[in-house]
Amino acid sequence: MSRNLNSFVLADSKKCIGCRVCEVACAVAHLDTEIKTVGNMNFSLNPRLYLVKTPEITMPVQCRHCEDAPCLKSCPVSAIKEQSNRIVIDEAGCIGCKSCIMACPFGAIELIVSRQERVGDEEDRLRDEPEVVASKCDLCGGAPACVKACPREALQYVDMVKERTQRRIEAANKMSGFHNEFMVREG
Amino acid sequence: MAKKLQENIKIDAELCTGCGRCSEVCPVDAIEGEEGKPQSVNVAKCVMCGQCVQICSAYDSPFEQYATSRSQRLKERNMPIVKEPLFAAYYHGDFFKVKKRLADKKQFSMVQCAPAVRVSLAEEFGMPLGSLVPGKMVAALKRLGFTRVYDTNFAADLTIMEEGSELVKRITEGGSLPMFTSCCPAWVKFVENEYPELIDHLSSCKSPQQMAGSMFKTYGASVDGVDAREVYSVAIMPCTCKKFEANRPEMKSSGYQDVDAVLTTRELAYLIKEAAIDFNALPEESFDKPLGMYSGAGTIFGVTGGVMEAAIRTAYELITKEPIENVNVTSVRGEQGVRKVTLDTGALKLKTVVVSGLKNVIPILEDIQRGKADFHFMEVMTCPAGCISGGGQPKMLLPVDGRKAYENRKSSTYQHDEEQRYRKSHENPEIQDIYQKFLGEPLGHKSHKLLHTHYKPSR
Repeated sequence: MSRNLNSFVLADSKKCIGCRVCEVACAVAHLDTEIKTVGNMNFSLNPRLYLVKTPEITMPVQCRHCEDAPCLKSCPVSAIKEQSNRIVIDEAGCIGCKSCIMACPFGAIELIVSRQERVGDEEDRLRDEPEVVASKCDLCGGAPACVKACPREALQYVDMVKERTQRRIEAANKMSGFHNEFMVREG
Repeated sequence: MAKKLQENIKIDAELCTGCGRCSEVCPVDAIEGEEGKPQSVNVAKCVMCGQCVQICSAYDSPFEQYATSRSQRLKERNMPIVKEPLFAAYYHGDFFKVKKRLADKKQFSMVQCAPAVRVSLAEEFGMPLGSLVPGKMVAALKRLGFTRVYDTNFAADLTIMEEGSELVKRITEGGSLPMFTSCCPAWVKFVENEYPELIDHLSSCKSPQQMAGSMFKTYGASVDGVDAREVYSVAIMPCTCKKFEANRPEMKSSGYQDVDAVLTTRELAYLIKEAAIDFNALPEESFDKPLGMYSGAGTIFGVTGGVMEAAIRTAYELITKEPIENVNVTSVRGEQGVRKVTLDTGALKLKTVVVSGLKNVIPILEDIQRGKADFHFMEVMTCPAGCISGGGQPKMLLPVDGRKAYENRKSSTYQHDEEQRYRKSHENPEIQDIYQKFLGEPLGHKSHKLLHTHYKPSR
């Protein structure tokens, strides 16, 4: 394979306490304008990662940026693209058909009310913009807000090149002893 | 009524994920519940500081379905219709109560604003964190229909006159030492709840909010020639516990409830928004006189160490009869924790302690009980950076901005102090006037009746 594998954010369910700061940070990072206080918000928070809480586990789930992305393949209008090692949704091109939601094995895509809905009169909106668009993690362009905001360091930005290299070193360290022992026994 | 007020702070079980960050910040371990399950507030222990409200990030996600509708949730919280996200930890508001009374144009209303509100209110209108806006705040309150826009800062100056004199009296004539400040209602409630045997150490001074309330309905009413019963007295506070304080049965020294309603900084912002006032475009207007004039000492009550610094500026001059060399007593400034400062007045080495964050005071109180106290005066504020970080202040979406907000609000507070013509409470001409025309002298008969109280064990 000639290109690097896509990165993604992964949560550690052992560290996650379910506080939802990651969701708030994600939603804030994707606002059109800078908003610092709750009182300045006149719409709900629309995060792109979703806290999952069951009796057994607590962790947020978000887009895995699949190499052979089912969402991308399922999109009938080619609004989902691979760009600089990320799977991204072109919200302007999205028709809200939900095919990607059905295709995603992680449940990582949601339909949100289009941001443009808040501006322009109704006629403009009907002509130019969809009411709802698909939304999912875009890795914040490479520095995910969720990872930075987590008070428990439960989220990790997984760089596949580094991860793979690190795992190979660990494996080599373990296997070197094992291999020698194995060879001796064989002999 | 009293029971209901005790339940001022609540956690919405449907939104709570049981992450436990609220119980980490709770200074009195009042938050109970299993890890990962909805938490609840133990009303008997809670001091209503609202730090849980500030830290909570479990919100009503648009992607989840709840049995309770949003409008029901707003109603439960006494909040106006807003589109902002709602979080699990919340406090009961008083928005509708005040709005209704303000709509009555015949109402003679007087409003006071705590020092910490003018350094945070603008944040709710998109201005930078910690913007200093006393003039716009006054303009907004006038447009909302308040008849007199007075100030808690005036009463903070009054507190210094009384509390400084009380300290000097306790040192020279005897009385429970060390003396504790009594401005922070959550701290007072904590002493009443957990250390009733130390109640005598609390200054008998009412908090500035309550001093202002009783002055509104006595001196203020006489200035305007209205009857006390006609005055509707409102306080704008950064604090969620001030609602409780205003309703304490002993706070009726004017003959009526001295403060009729308390709104938080956030609730004032709701009122301004609902009235469609363009806050950012408002002109700068001035507080009304006489009860709206204040010194720099009055304004620094909003930050930890502020009451102490204001007291030192006056007490030094009371004791030595000489002007203090440097009015900026920077050694008492700072944040979270305990600061010990000794002030050399020549005749007396005044030993002081400043505590921010209620948890930090416990070892000191234990020492006092063991007879190991070696200081005269202690300021305690429940919230981490003082009132500027109170539970009723604008809530930051991200924790990182919370820290930035505290820093900016603090520097705006000191900036405001430096901008004042008078920096010491006893130099405030309206303070001198009120003693001359109405109160007589600090700790005098009238002061005692209107400005002092006593606290009772609550268990």
